[in-house]
Amino acid sequence: MQAEIAVAEHPREQAINIMYAVQGHYGYLPDEGLLEAAELLDLTPLELEELATFYDFIYRRPVGKYVIHVCDGVVCWMFHENSVFEYLCQKLGVCAGEISADGLFTVLPTACIGFCDHAPAMLVNGRLYGPLTPLLIDEILEKLKTEYCDLVVCK
Amino acid sequence: MPKLIIDQRSIEVPAGTKVIAAAEKLGIMIPRFCYHPGLGSFGACRMCAVKFLEGPVKGIEMSCMEDARDGMVVSTTDPEAMEFRQYVIEWLMMHHPLDCPVCDEGGHCLLQDETVSGGHGRRRYLGHKRTYHDQYLGVFVQHEMNRCIHCWRCRNFYQGFAGYRDYGAMQIGNRMYFGRYEDGPLESPFAGNIIDLCPTGVLTDKPCRFVGRRWDFERAPSLCLHCSLGCNTTGSARYRQMWRQEGRFNEMVNGYFICDRGRYGFAYESHPERPRRARVAGLEVAWAEAIQTAAEKLSQIAATAGPAAVACLGSARSSLETQATLQRFCRALGWSEPRYFSVPSQERQVKAAIARLEAPLAVSLREIETADFVLVVGADPVNEAPMLALALRQAWLKGGAVAVLDPRPVFLPFEFEHLPLAPGDLEAALEALTAGAGGTDLLAGGSPWPLLPKIAALGRRLTQTQRPVIVCGTGIVRESTPGLAADLVLRLREAGLNAGLFYLLPGANAFGAGLLSPAGEGLTPLMEDLETGAVKALMVVENDPFWDYPDRGRLVRALDKLELLVALDYLPSPTVQRADIVFPTLTLFERNHSSFVNQEGRLQLAPPVHLGGMPMAQISPEKHPPRTFLSHIPGGEPRTPGEILAELAAAMPAPVTLPGDDLWDWLSRKNPVFANIVSLFESPPGARLIPEAVPAGTFSPAAAPAAAERPPDYLELLLVDLIFGTEELASYSKHIQPAEEPPRLRMHPADAAKLRLSSGDRVALRLLGGTLEVDLQVAENMAPGVLVLPRHRQLNWRLAPDYRVMVAYGDIVKVEA
Repeated sequence: MQAEIAVAEHPREQAINIMYAVQGHYGYLPDEGLLEAAELLDLTPLELEELATFYDFIYRRPVGKYVIHVCDGVVCWMFHENSVFEYLCQKLGVCAGEISADGLFTVLPTACIGFCDHAPAMLVNGRLYGPLTPLLIDEILEKLKTEYCDLVVCK
Repeated sequence: MPKLIIDQRSIEVPAGTKVIAAAEKLGIMIPRFCYHPGLGSFGACRMCAVKFLEGPVKGIEMSCMEDARDGMVVSTTDPEAMEFRQYVIEWLMMHHPLDCPVCDEGGHCLLQDETVSGGHGRRRYLGHKRTYHDQYLGVFVQHEMNRCIHCWRCRNFYQGFAGYRDYGAMQIGNRMYFGRYEDGPLESPFAGNIIDLCPTGVLTDKPCRFVGRRWDFERAPSLCLHCSLGCNTTGSARYRQMWRQEGRFNEMVNGYFICDRGRYGFAYESHPERPRRARVAGLEVAWAEAIQTAAEKLSQIAATAGPAAVACLGSARSSLETQATLQRFCRALGWSEPRYFSVPSQERQVKAAIARLEAPLAVSLREIETADFVLVVGADPVNEAPMLALALRQAWLKGGAVAVLDPRPVFLPFEFEHLPLAPGDLEAALEALTAGAGGTDLLAGGSPWPLLPKIAALGRRLTQTQRPVIVCGTGIVRESTPGLAADLVLRLREAGLNAGLFYLLPGANAFGAGLLSPAGEGLTPLMEDLETGAVKALMVVENDPFWDYPDRGRLVRALDKLELLVALDYLPSPTVQRADIVFPTLTLFERNHSSFVNQEGRLQLAPPVHLGGMPMAQISPEKHPPRTFLSHIPGGEPRTPGEILAELAAAMPAPVTLPGDDLWDWLSRKNPVFANIVSLFESPPGARLIPEAVPAGTFSPAAAPAAAERPPDYLELLLVDLIFGTEELASYSKHIQPAEEPPRLRMHPADAAKLRLSSGDRVALRLLGGTLEVDLQVAENMAPGVLVLPRHRQLNWRLAPDYRVMVAYGDIVKVEA
């Protein structure tokens, strides 16, 4: 990480990459990780926190193995028959941001993911899914639960 | 200059003016939250929407984001724009808790005003409101995040304008949170400004919490006396007590903002031990009796030992009226001329600076913001004159560069070049820069001074600029330094640059004191007169030598020889406690108008905020107005020194009437710089008491630049200022005291290594007057060969003969725990 920062013209440029790297290590960005990253980047904790909490894909609290980012964009809302978000929460027995009992899933809304032609859509482990129906969601969850795959932190 | 029409009225404004500012010039206040003239435009709140009817932009746009351009026709009252603004204010109010009755901002709240003016009266949103946890932000600022409307002003000031990095905006969208990473005091000494800036009650003044509504206060324009810059403030008093100070706009001095020392330093005014009654020999007596006793004793000493045996000591914190009246009084009675400084080196530095400040050279604080290169010599802006640091940052934000030549570990909230030069080397560097600006090749002589190439490089950069400013301090420098700084400015002007000069002085009215002090070395230092017994009676007017005289032992021995000590003051100072006769005086907030001259010679008037008297809280603990009626104000005995001196003169056995002619006439006969001041109230705003003409350059031939010689195995101890804890008035303020940092002795790592000391060690410092124990901090960014010690309230530092002394290695010892 230090090498990455060293090549940058301003250390701040590397803030996102460093936060992702720390998140890859811990599964989320814990306080001690943020403090350490801030020190490496020559930023105050507050300055890094401003960036960390701005982005949907940086998790400041523990999350499940898979974070389901449900598109909160206008087009997706137009195509919802029943709310995808609520269906997922109900299915997994969680509220937004919580970890499901098996430790696998966290459901979060996200800004438009650009998959409007397949609305309603969601993003899990770096893959886009849509158009979603309850049936399809069940299938996807089942597959994620049973099949092995490499974890994608950022894509 | 673009010309545009706003609401059927045309106006021409300078290019780059925003439409919202152009409208303001016409007296049209377009509603706004995020826009502030001191901070600029951000386009965050969407409240200033207007309709552009004709011209390069059409339709609804934000007036703070559009530059005024030719041909624009703008309507601020177009129904479409009004409807837009109505929706915006409804959205902004959606989560607002509507807790105005218990909110300190209620009554002067921009959000209240614009909710009403925007036409939003009925709440349609019935859902849950968003709530936050508040943070502890230190002793000055109260946080109440639920009221926030996300205008960004606080963050834009804190990080953008002031450059501090521990307060900001976290989260996104509706969840956005303005605060710190975690609870804790705000690190910026300018944090109080976010209280003034917050358009609603998120950030409120903690010491003034739950004290009153705006209309409950007596409010008046006032001045800050906590450094020499003379920032403008608005004071609020209630129940005979000052509660709050806010920044007041002054185009030439402080702009919109002030520092926290100026904002919260006022509480000396309501110090519980402040002298309120005349005292003779420690006992409170009737006013007339004290006057009679003082007049008798003073005239008796003058009669037996000669009039020169009675001396007066004025001060650099008194108003110009007090300073001048004191001089008139002494002359009328034939006593020796009053002194205004108890530290002779300070007096000489101030006079050296004033002698060289002329109108074409002097720049104001705000003019520094437009400089393209600022060279700061022997000054630590954040600690000595905090608002200067913000002015320098504005210059830097506009592309200017700042270089600091100072031995101390100087911090500024932006990138700057720091050459840590010891005093002595500073002067050599100034001479070298002057020679360099005159075309001398500094490196030709092959001087062994290792820092010379850096100084030469600085000099080359300096000559390539157009509007450089030289800032020169008077705290730790030699007495010749102000003159050398002026030489450099004159030489730069000869080279065709529009160079400016800016001094810092010790004391809010040090300039006035310097103007009235006799020229040259006319007087022997007061301390010597006291020691030889030449002075037998001393009258101290609003001064406290116990505060600033560096050698306490010598001071006490000298005062012991006195037959009579009379003190006139509003502080419960050691001098007042020691004095045989005490007359309480008024602070600048009370009853009378007073004027002060800031460090660039600017004469500024401070009207009274309230009538004075004992604060209600000190008379009736439940803060209820008294239930009995009196014909006088309780505790209202203090008078101005001018009134007291006139009473004293009249009570003398051979009564003297002070000349009745106008003070300003008298002053202008004395010194021509006063000539353009007709009277206090008619003086042109921004009049400066400095001569117009530039005398011909008087350059001393520059010696070959070389580092100053210093004895080996010695360190030079500098007694310096800190933002909190070293300034006299603010140190009596109960609001400032909890914000003080513990004082530390600072030392360069090379010296620390030689002495085998490290950060955190407790160190005993043996000085002439005794031993002082203090914690050590090793600082990389300071000059080697120098010790830096704050003249801190909590520290018994008054053990040295001057503010700069040499300390042998052997006299710095580690104290084992």
